[in-house]
Amino acid sequence: MVNLIYPGDSISIPERTNVVTGPGIYLDPKSQHLKPINVGIEVIDPSKRVTSVYLDFNSKRYIPSEGDFVIGVITSTFADSYRVSLANFSTAVTLSYMAFPNASKKNRPTLKVGDLLYARVSKANKELEAEIECVDSSTGKDAGYGHLDGGVVVDVSLAFCRELLFNNDFPLLKLIGKRTEFEVAIGLNGKIWIKAADILSTLACYRIILDCEKQPTSQYSEIIKNRFKELANSAD
Amino acid sequence: MAKDIEISVSQGRFLIETLKQKVRLDGRRFDQMRDVDIELGKDRGDVMVTMGKTRVHCRISCEIAQPYEDRPFEGLFVISTETSPMAGPQFENGNNTGEDEVLCSRIIEKAVRRSGALDVEGLCIVAGSKCWAVRADVHFLNCDGGFIDASCIAVMTGLLHFKKPDVTVSGERVTVHPPEEREPVPLGVLHTPICVTFSFFNPEDTEENIKGESNNEISLIDATLSEELLRDGTLTITLNKNREVVQVSKAGGLPMDALTLMDCCHKAYNIVERLTDQVQRVIKEDEQTRNQYAAILSSENARES
Amino acid sequence: MSRLEIYSPEGLRLDGRRWNELRRFESSINTHPDAADGSSYLEQGNNKIITLVTGPQEPRLRSQASFSHASVSVNLNITKFSRMERSKASHRNERRVLEMQTALVRTFEKNVMLHLYPRTSIDIQVHVLQQDGGLMSSLINGITLALIDAGIAMYDYISSVSVGLYDTTPLLDMNSLEENAMSSVTLAVVGKSEKLSLLLVEDKIPLDRFESVLAIGIAGAHRVRELMDKELRRHGQKRLANASK
Repeated sequence: MVNLIYPGDSISIPERTNVVTGPGIYLDPKSQHLKPINVGIEVIDPSKRVTSVYLDFNSKRYIPSEGDFVIGVITSTFADSYRVSLANFSTAVTLSYMAFPNASKKNRPTLKVGDLLYARVSKANKELEAEIECVDSSTGKDAGYGHLDGGVVVDVSLAFCRELLFNNDFPLLKLIGKRTEFEVAIGLNGKIWIKAADILSTLACYRIILDCEKQPTSQYSEIIKNRFKELANSAD
Repeated sequence: MAKDIEISVSQGRFLIETLKQKVRLDGRRFDQMRDVDIELGKDRGDVMVTMGKTRVHCRISCEIAQPYEDRPFEGLFVISTETSPMAGPQFENGNNTGEDEVLCSRIIEKAVRRSGALDVEGLCIVAGSKCWAVRADVHFLNCDGGFIDASCIAVMTGLLHFKKPDVTVSGERVTVHPPEEREPVPLGVLHTPICVTFSFFNPEDTEENIKGESNNEISLIDATLSEELLRDGTLTITLNKNREVVQVSKAGGLPMDALTLMDCCHKAYNIVERLTDQVQRVIKEDEQTRNQYAAILSSENARES
Repeated sequence: MSRLEIYSPEGLRLDGRRWNELRRFESSINTHPDAADGSSYLEQGNNKIITLVTGPQEPRLRSQASFSHASVSVNLNITKFSRMERSKASHRNERRVLEMQTALVRTFEKNVMLHLYPRTSIDIQVHVLQQDGGLMSSLINGITLALIDAGIAMYDYISSVSVGLYDTTPLLDMNSLEENAMSSVTLAVVGKSEKLSLLLVEDKIPLDRFESVLAIGIAGAHRVRELMDKELRRHGQKRLANASK
């Protein structure tokens, strides 16, 4: 059941023990009541030992939060770090040279200004500039982050990105996969990087993602079919 | 300083690669303009032009003012093209000295005002002391490229649609008749300039562009914002239906072969011809809906003969 | 204004030139060897223009520096006494001047090998002492000479000239009387090619005549290039003679 919550509504949770609050929920320190502070769909997930409560809502501007996977563009280089832009017209974040696999003082990463990369937000303090990393900091090993070569970035809404990344039943990528091989990286900052075998298929994927964002899932296979057909015709 | 839109290297490379394959991101042909939608408001001289996601609004207004001393027989005509953050976060409020903003307003100025599209002598009421001051305010509502083209269409449609109140002059006394009293009079529009903007891309290296013989440069008509951000050069051609080049502006950018530029002019003419017809059709249709009761309200056939 | 005969039936213009003749073109380079890295003085008809180039140098603001290439800036100073009548207002922030500066920057950005000078800026100052039509083209020629004097790597010369269309006759390199009387085309050509780096048309020209106007313009610009080349070689020879003394 989908329950749309507005700020000021009350949230009822069956068991008050071990509650973890997520985005859109504020715990009033005095009364110990949970209060919604955004408009969104209420999600109460009691599956694990703790009950997590959060609101699922869409927004345009990305605010870094710890643990998010993001796609960024390097805007400048400094003595020991890169500045990376995660979204246009917002503050850039820092990527230290040490936040790469096998990094040392001598072994510097070789990324240049304008390069695209996939990373994880490692620090997101309100007071400080956010930091990202291209390494799994718990193990210090390569975890699939780093430079994204070629391909194209599609700008979509934040909610669509979350859906693509976290909802394993979301049909879009599976349907595209039936038509072409591709690599994909999904950034929670509203960016999807996609690269297929050749340039025309990549372009088809680009258009499909843009179209599908605005359409119900039932339309997806139709859109995919049309987009591929259209490009096959234009190539002749 | 306003923050800029950040573009990655691979985004630029991807665009060039797709252009080499003769396709554009949005599926248009290279020489295909987006469909132009012209919407007229309830008031005269109120125009909204939509091209894809680009939206431009233009409002024509007029008031009585004093003409310039050195031109006593001419009315005043001002076009204001100020961008604001309403069009997109890349624009700053009150700061219109950015390179693109200046070029955009100068081109519209040259295309419409300096080309004499509006008959300013017809705006004179009493020589040397009173004249109409016509003002075109262009508002950029959303930016997805093609501002110059859209605003030129908007201003020209507005001028064609607008009507100024009728006046009677007896000596120095000027009476302005409200529209209920006397039918307002249209402005004297002498020709309809239409702008077409080309964007140039260089798929090869600079040496080939300057020294080479291949002329492989790609030219696109009516670029969207993402294409505009990555282009190497631009050319705006303004033409009218009488096969006159009103204004051409290629302010630097990628050097292009003269014959290619001539070719662009001819392509532009076809588009201009089509758009002029569209503007006139829209005006005509609006006139018909406004006058649909004219036949009933008229007293001409009231008596039976 | 009295009716001037722009183009007489005998084929002569106001200043006695024929339709395809350039005005007097005299230039010298390295005129301000102490003040700037490159400089030129150009007289094209009655246009008198001093151009100073400084750079490649460290940019004044760090934020101007680009990691991949040099940045070019043009500062155009049209003096108040440059016309017959002294102008009251300073031209500095006029939209027309801003537009010309932008056009000049964008013209030279594509012709200077900017990638050779990363993290630097090249600042060009142009002073117009006297103007008599075809200003934009004289500015471009002056800057080309000054950039060469400054030893900045360029792909080729950029030479520029203005052309007018009087009835059906194209008139090359117009002065201000001619410029006021008819429509004008300014074009800038890269080297000896037919590639146009700048093309500005003001006022109406029939589409079918446009091609012939461009053709005479390109020929005129090639001639300007030769004149600039001659002066540069002369200057080079002089310096060589001085050095070997």
